[in-house]
Amino acid sequence: MSRVRKLKFALWVVTGLAVAAALARFLLGLGGTTNLSDAVPWGLWIGFDVMGGVALAAGGFIITATVYIFKLERYHTIVRSAVLTAFLGYVAVAVGLLFDLGLPWNIWHMIVFWNPHSPLFEVGWCVMLYLTVLSLEFFPVPAEEWSALARIRRFLIQWRLPLVIAGIGLSILHQSSLGSLFLIMPYRLHPLWYSPILPVIFLISAIGLGLMTVIFESHFTAYLYRRKPETELLAGLGRAARWVLILYLVVRLGDLALRGQLGALVGWGWQAPLFWLELALMAVVPAALLFVPTVRRSRSGQWAAAAIGIFGVVLNRIDVGGLAHMERGEGFYLPAWTELAISAGIVSAAALAFLFIVEHFKVWETRPADPEADPLKLPEFDKIDTTWLGVPAVAARTMYSLAFILAASVGFAFLAPERAASRGVPPAPVHRARGGDTLWVDGNLNGYGTAFKHAEHQKREGGAASCVKCHHMNLPRDRDTGCYECHHDMYQPVDSFRHDWHSSPEGARLACYECHERGKARSAATAKDCSACHKDLYPAGALIQVKQYRAVGYAQAMHQLCLGCHVKAARQKGKPDLARCANCHKEGIDLVDAKGFSYRTRELAGARSVLPPY
Amino acid sequence: MKAAILTDTTKCIGCSECVIACKKVNHLDPDVPRRWDLDDGLSARNWTSVVKGPKEAFVRKQCRHCLEPACASACPVGALQKTDTGAVIYDSSKCMGCRYCMMACPYGIPRYDWDETVPFVRKCILCYERIKSGSQPACTQACPTGATVFGDRDVLLAEAHRRISATPGLYIQNVWGEDEVGGTSVLYVSNADLSFLTHDVALGSAPLPQRTAPAMNAVPYAFTGALAAMAGLSWIIGRRMKNQGGNQGETE
Repeated sequence: MSRVRKLKFALWVVTGLAVAAALARFLLGLGGTTNLSDAVPWGLWIGFDVMGGVALAAGGFIITATVYIFKLERYHTIVRSAVLTAFLGYVAVAVGLLFDLGLPWNIWHMIVFWNPHSPLFEVGWCVMLYLTVLSLEFFPVPAEEWSALARIRRFLIQWRLPLVIAGIGLSILHQSSLGSLFLIMPYRLHPLWYSPILPVIFLISAIGLGLMTVIFESHFTAYLYRRKPETELLAGLGRAARWVLILYLVVRLGDLALRGQLGALVGWGWQAPLFWLELALMAVVPAALLFVPTVRRSRSGQWAAAAIGIFGVVLNRIDVGGLAHMERGEGFYLPAWTELAISAGIVSAAALAFLFIVEHFKVWETRPADPEADPLKLPEFDKIDTTWLGVPAVAARTMYSLAFILAASVGFAFLAPERAASRGVPPAPVHRARGGDTLWVDGNLNGYGTAFKHAEHQKREGGAASCVKCHHMNLPRDRDTGCYECHHDMYQPVDSFRHDWHSSPEGARLACYECHERGKARSAATAKDCSACHKDLYPAGALIQVKQYRAVGYAQAMHQLCLGCHVKAARQKGKPDLARCANCHKEGIDLVDAKGFSYRTRELAGARSVLPPY
Repeated sequence: MKAAILTDTTKCIGCSECVIACKKVNHLDPDVPRRWDLDDGLSARNWTSVVKGPKEAFVRKQCRHCLEPACASACPVGALQKTDTGAVIYDSSKCMGCRYCMMACPYGIPRYDWDETVPFVRKCILCYERIKSGSQPACTQACPTGATVFGDRDVLLAEAHRRISATPGLYIQNVWGEDEVGGTSVLYVSNADLSFLTHDVALGSAPLPQRTAPAMNAVPYAFTGALAAMAGLSWIIGRRMKNQGGNQGETE
């Protein structure tokens, strides 16, 4: 298998996984498919896809400036691929943003509702305008193939210089505005990264990165298509890049010194080592490599310096985007696999588009030979007698389709439906209420429950006859089922109906139609109510009447039960305190149960109110 | 009138009546713990909460309705607005869900409908419709002890200073919200240090939008400057090359 085909195979696999994750993202919402939270509202998609993506696309404006403004004609051979990379990079950024936005269909609102004070407004406009400019800059390349487009092509080439200048202006704004985004959050971003000149720092690093991405991309495609890399030419870019990186180092460290933050460089937290790693990767190591002439002129040297530098700058964008934000205790965030898959999938799809375009249009001087011409060999067998028929050709496209579909299926298999079904509610198993005359009612044993004076309530409500006021017999003919046995999750409703028992020969031996009406879909919704058969499920005078098979969450069951009477009593007796949370959930009730366990209640404040607004 | 709320934590008994009133008036769903919740009780379904501060003080958390709100300055589509009444309100029909407001808020107040497929940003809106019609927010109306009261900001600020100077032994001599990040409409007096209500770093008195202003004001100049510089460079270099005789015909 050729290098190109191996790579395309891998890219289709990743894209397939991402398609499964992407569908889940839009069908289930952000909460069910990402690990974002109220503490970490921005994650991988902003840090890598948007911030990293824009930085990686910087090669476009750098090379167009080199060729059309500084008129260094020898770089003309790489200008088309640099513009193509920038264009696809920006498309990837825009697509990544659509995944991250909660309401992506409202993205056009930025065109109509203006807030020029917002750096994100600037970012949005720059993406839209520069994407337009890039597509106009690149359009003459595919237009070569069709003579009908010749006039448009000539027009665009005539207007190329203004387009290039506009693209450079927009890029400068855009690269720096991603830094401006974080100026408003000095309380989030660590002082090693937060700086009033963040936009300038971002712009300088984007220029350095732009040069390095062009180097890397040239070498990578040369390796891929077995072309001869433009090593001589790229050494020139390396020469420029090292000075940009030195400038970056000076500005970055100078800024730290001026802000008096040099002390933070030796801190013991994880931020200081992260800063050093980032600075070494994005500036120190690549600059040092590029200063050695033999390294700068060698193929592997250029490759290594560019790869390290690119990794460093992307790490820097991820740091500013979230990794280097100050911890707020609960702010721990690790991307979910769906987030990773979508990020990787966008990159893969952009790479596939790149490969398609260089294979079909004249991006380089010589178009690479069709790598699909040599089909893959797979064994084939006769369908009837399984005789081996040898190795026929399997077209590359068949293989890619297979990779894509299989990966998408695996992706679907890995989607956790229960994660979406729970709507983010963590499972909270309920424990039995404990105690004697005074019951310790605290299902999740966190102290926020209450000490319920059972004996007192029983006496007041009328002795043994009052049991049915609060208790219903959960299971038929059962007189001592604990509440927690059906309401066994603190907050989530659970299915307490045992279908297998009702239908099994060892159990109730019911035929389907005895509960489900004939000719209708057999589901819980169309089945009979429990009480249709279990006539004596609730004793006369019971306050609780359950009509469906789902038991509500424990907390809700307890609240409805207690509050129903408490609210009524509060109104009738004119004692509003009776219906207040703190009436039951108050601090410092000590209780020792019959077995000698001791408990102590905690105050409700700080705990969440689970009350339905009554 | 510039609407404001003054919360005196020494009077709060932690009964959570304000929380319940808020949920009722704003038709918020019953709350259950979610994976994405912070532990301060605020969420898309709880716009105010009572937390335990230092010295066992009950502190009611809610949107501070900053005089120069970072969220409103950050929102790219202007979905968040500081109104004349003093309330910072949210227009869900404009929002596109970028969550920049959540990143920008120095108090970490806005929360998100993470479980919805059509999610919105949620936070206290100072019962905007009620105060516009001359009424007061549900929370201050529900408070049984007068720990949290509604009124004009200047009047409440004077009242806050009167309280802390009348019983200096009880209160810390500070009105939280008087001038931090340019001042907020929700003020606190307390016997406990309330700096835990924000991120770890102490807030200055400069409004946060001022941090972005220099960069944003420079945008038109940077853009026109860059365009002019590039056009000029291109012209100069082009002319010099022509003069040297090496005429590079612009070829594809």
